[in-house]
Amino acid sequence: MSSRSNGWRATCSALIGILLLSACERENRRFQENPPTATPTSTALIVSDLQPGPGMVIPKVEAPYDDNAWAVSEGKSLFNSMNCSGCHFQGGGGIGPPLMDEEWIYGYEPQQIFASIADGRPNGMPAWKYSLSTQQIWELVSYVRSLSGLNPKGARSGRDDHMMRKTPEASTPNAVPKMSSTPPEDSA
Amino acid sequence: MRRGTWLLLFAIGCAGSQSVLDPAGPPNRSLNHLFWAMLIVASVIWIAVVVAAFWAALSRRRITREDLEPIITVPNEEHRRHTGIVTGLVGATIVILLLFLVYDFTVGRALAERPSRTLTIEIIGHQWWWEVHYVDPDPSKIVVDANELHIPAGEPVQVKLSSRDVIHSFWVPNLIGKRDLIPGYTSSLFLNADRAGVYRAQCAEFCGTEHAKMALPVVVHSRNDFAAWLSEARAPAAVPNDSSARDGRQVFLAGPCSSCHAITGEPAYGTVGPNLTHLASRKTLGAGTLPNTRGNLGGWVVDPQSIKPGVRMPSNQLAAKDLRNLLDYLQTLK
Amino acid sequence: MPRRERTRCVSDRRRLFVVAVGGSLFLAGCKGDKEKDDPRVALAARVGPATTSGDTTTKFADDGQWVRPAKDFQGTRFSGLTEINNTNVQKLHVFGTFSLGTTRGVEAAPIVAGTTMYIVTPFPNFVYALDLTKEGMPTKWSYKPRPVNAAQGVACCDVVNRGLVVDAGKVIFNTLDGRTIALDAATGKELWETQLANINLGESVTMAPLVVKGKVFVGVSGGEFGVRGWLKAVDENSGKLAWTAYHTGPDKDVLIGPNFKPFYKMDQGKDLGVSSWPADQWKIGGAGVWGWITYDPELDLIYYGTANPGPWNPEMRPGDNKWSSTVFARHPDNGEAVWAYQLSPHDEHDYDGVNENILVDMDWKGTRRQLILRPERNGYFYVFDRKTGEVLSAEPFGFVNTTTGVDLKTGRLQYAPEKATRIGQVVRYSCPAAPGMKDWQPSAYSPRTGLVYIPHQNLCMDEEGLEANYIAGTPYVGTNVKMYAGPGGNRGFFDAWDPVGQHKVWSIKEDLPVWSGALVTAGDVAFYGTMDGWFKAVDARTGNPLWQFKTGSGIISQPMTYSYGGKQYIAVLSGVGGWSGAIVAGGLDARDSSAALGFVNAMKDLPQKSTKGGMLYVFAL
Repeated sequence: MSSRSNGWRATCSALIGILLLSACERENRRFQENPPTATPTSTALIVSDLQPGPGMVIPKVEAPYDDNAWAVSEGKSLFNSMNCSGCHFQGGGGIGPPLMDEEWIYGYEPQQIFASIADGRPNGMPAWKYSLSTQQIWELVSYVRSLSGLNPKGARSGRDDHMMRKTPEASTPNAVPKMSSTPPEDSA
Repeated sequence: MRRGTWLLLFAIGCAGSQSVLDPAGPPNRSLNHLFWAMLIVASVIWIAVVVAAFWAALSRRRITREDLEPIITVPNEEHRRHTGIVTGLVGATIVILLLFLVYDFTVGRALAERPSRTLTIEIIGHQWWWEVHYVDPDPSKIVVDANELHIPAGEPVQVKLSSRDVIHSFWVPNLIGKRDLIPGYTSSLFLNADRAGVYRAQCAEFCGTEHAKMALPVVVHSRNDFAAWLSEARAPAAVPNDSSARDGRQVFLAGPCSSCHAITGEPAYGTVGPNLTHLASRKTLGAGTLPNTRGNLGGWVVDPQSIKPGVRMPSNQLAAKDLRNLLDYLQTLK
Repeated sequence: MPRRERTRCVSDRRRLFVVAVGGSLFLAGCKGDKEKDDPRVALAARVGPATTSGDTTTKFADDGQWVRPAKDFQGTRFSGLTEINNTNVQKLHVFGTFSLGTTRGVEAAPIVAGTTMYIVTPFPNFVYALDLTKEGMPTKWSYKPRPVNAAQGVACCDVVNRGLVVDAGKVIFNTLDGRTIALDAATGKELWETQLANINLGESVTMAPLVVKGKVFVGVSGGEFGVRGWLKAVDENSGKLAWTAYHTGPDKDVLIGPNFKPFYKMDQGKDLGVSSWPADQWKIGGAGVWGWITYDPELDLIYYGTANPGPWNPEMRPGDNKWSSTVFARHPDNGEAVWAYQLSPHDEHDYDGVNENILVDMDWKGTRRQLILRPERNGYFYVFDRKTGEVLSAEPFGFVNTTTGVDLKTGRLQYAPEKATRIGQVVRYSCPAAPGMKDWQPSAYSPRTGLVYIPHQNLCMDEEGLEANYIAGTPYVGTNVKMYAGPGGNRGFFDAWDPVGQHKVWSIKEDLPVWSGALVTAGDVAFYGTMDGWFKAVDARTGNPLWQFKTGSGIISQPMTYSYGGKQYIAVLSGVGGWSGAIVAGGLDARDSSAALGFVNAMKDLPQKSTKGGMLYVFAL
């Protein structure tokens, strides 16, 4: 009897503890750190679904901030102040492609988005690696992923400070990402 | 020890660059007069009341049977005297309160008056710094500065307040009370200083983690000094002669700095961070966080997140030589 | 009696083929009845405009060709051809087609010089020469300029190109990455190439050049990227830069000298391009040129308008922001400004001033005057005296509530304070929206009817100011915009406007914005296209619909007409895109109402009505 209730208590405490811990991560303000850099030797530059051989190798780099609400909101602030929104707007696109849909030209894995931002892409995406710190780029990665629901819902923004332009990220339905079927325009 | 602390607190409260009790301009001075008048009168009354209460409590008086019975109809001489005293005191209270009301109203009216011709300054709150625009009808003469407010003595200055992110509050204890900076709304107040000096304003509305490190030195100049300061502030930054500073300029323009900061006269137009055209002549760094010294500046550039965690400025990895050159350059921005 | 009618080309009766000196190019010329009286015109007709460098006398000649997007220097887009007219236009059928091999918005006009049709495509700016003498119009040559791919990142509103020009045996066009290229019209061989714009400063070039007196005029796009706007003149033979006129900054950079005499006080003063801006802002103040340039040979002046100031958010640039949204009259030889008039001082809503200045001589209140007719983006139809820059009339040609009118005494546009754009505030229902009452799509003028045919949109917007941050080579806008249909619920109109009577004569409601140019002919037929692909012909006098044809993609280009072998043809390019069609051309997501500067919100249904394309259609009876 008592041992069973102890078991319950332990389980409940553990559960609450886990819940609290996850909440901690959500709110943790990680001001100062050096998150990993995606390197060209990782899959960052793989933009094809075709690999020679019987199986696909997809090494993953975890996005350090996908579940961190504070970092995602910092990413959103950077997305606007560094003029990402000037081309991609609030995810619907304009000069640049939309980011809230399921189509990805250069990949949706965190390290691929990192590479797209840091190294740029040939059809007009500038290379930001000399203008933004690694931490800032990772914050942007997580915000970009939040636009189509690729990160946990709890970490996404639930409201916007400005004119109602679209439903907030937390209410945007999760897209099932896929590589774009139409390759980018080529000047050839 | 305890007494010392109290004395220190009193001393801080009474004089200094961030004290409501050390007025540096007519509005605050009239408020101070009102405050002292109310304090003195109220203190005298309070002391009188306390003395009377003690006197009543301590005076030994035998309780008779009559005292325990309800007061019946016919008032005697003593009762009449008591009624007179109470009526007189109530009357005195009403008169004193009325006088305070009139006084308070007069002071309030004087504060609300709009001076006819004034200099207009726009203050825009950011997390966690102040953007300051010295408005001019000729747009090319508008001065954009940050984290320091310069005003002339003996002249009312209109301050228009707004915010780009959250609600902040503008408060210069020595000069004027608080007024909120609200996103999407412009509020306004008048500053009127008559004593030159440096005072400290502080954000007075919690605005995020670094709310406490959002201060604003307010420099009150004599009129002539202010005119001179303003014309200097209009001057664009010059390309330095010194070779290391010139290299530092390249570091600034080619690196991430110019994405956020503007320097008038240079191809750097960022509006995310403070305008740095006159950085070297500022008294503080990081909105009143640190004294503006070369060492502090270096620390700030390399690792602002240790000094003011959460600040929008990222840490910057710079080669030692680049950092030295950059500091040389930033120190030319007088 | 309009002059042009007397001199219209009767190409089916008299046709002259002349071999140019150097003999590479056949050119069609045609003569009107009265041309013999004027030796200048007659000469031009004989020699043909495309062989004479900077020939300026083609006004009444040469209806068989269409050597520049606006047809003539005056920008009328009027053709004297009459074979296709309002009685037989119903019999039009497709004569030929050609695929451009691109899928972005096609805003260009096909150009016909001699026996060849020339087309420049949107990015990557292919140039095709089609042989009209052979069946099926086979390709004579094609040219690939290979512009820098990254240039697509600094083109605000799709990667369009508004056309090429043929002059003196050269095909001259601009690439998105800011090069002006001259090709041998006969062989397609590159003659010269000049880099004019720098994409790292956000500069790109989308406009069609104009060639006058041996100079090629090219302006910069990038009002959304904080460029410092300019117009450059390049020598037609060498490709060398002749002069540059900036549109912000000190007078010497704007080429304002002692002969500069603006009509209104607000445009007079020294170095207004500096003093009407906050310090340094003029260096990133926009005011490019990406619309139309017209030329008056008599006064020897070119006329053009400058684009919006940067950033859009007006709170970041107190002052009049000269010389943004301004009409300039300049001497083509040295660029010297003669007069200027600022249409929208301190622009609040992205009202560029790049629209066409149609040059006509007509009776105005009893006297014959040299006029500019100008349907402006801010919603007013301006009539100017083109000698002095005086505004004779400015009446709204649609629903306007952002401004209350133009004060003809001071020349100043009167803004409605309640519609001012402010940081952190959302202003609802501002009309016209950011693309204005009429954007780049050029109107046409018929001297037979005296009417201006205006394709335009009917859009309103919600707008919020944001702090804009300038980073070279990235957008510099600072507003949130969300557009939707204006009063009536339709998004476009095709109108006929009487400039003398200052009123609308007839109006055709279109569901989608009319983003194509207009064409009008002496057969009294006006042509335009819609974004869902219909190419339409209407009676120029009544507006009655006469004929329509559904092309493969939406039409946002400039229809034109030409004749070959005694037969009249109508040609148009189909390929949806541009700012209005970005939702299709760029595959944008309509859930974000601010996408493509807010235009996507007004065009949510376009993907159901039109798909990407790039195709030439030629029609004949």
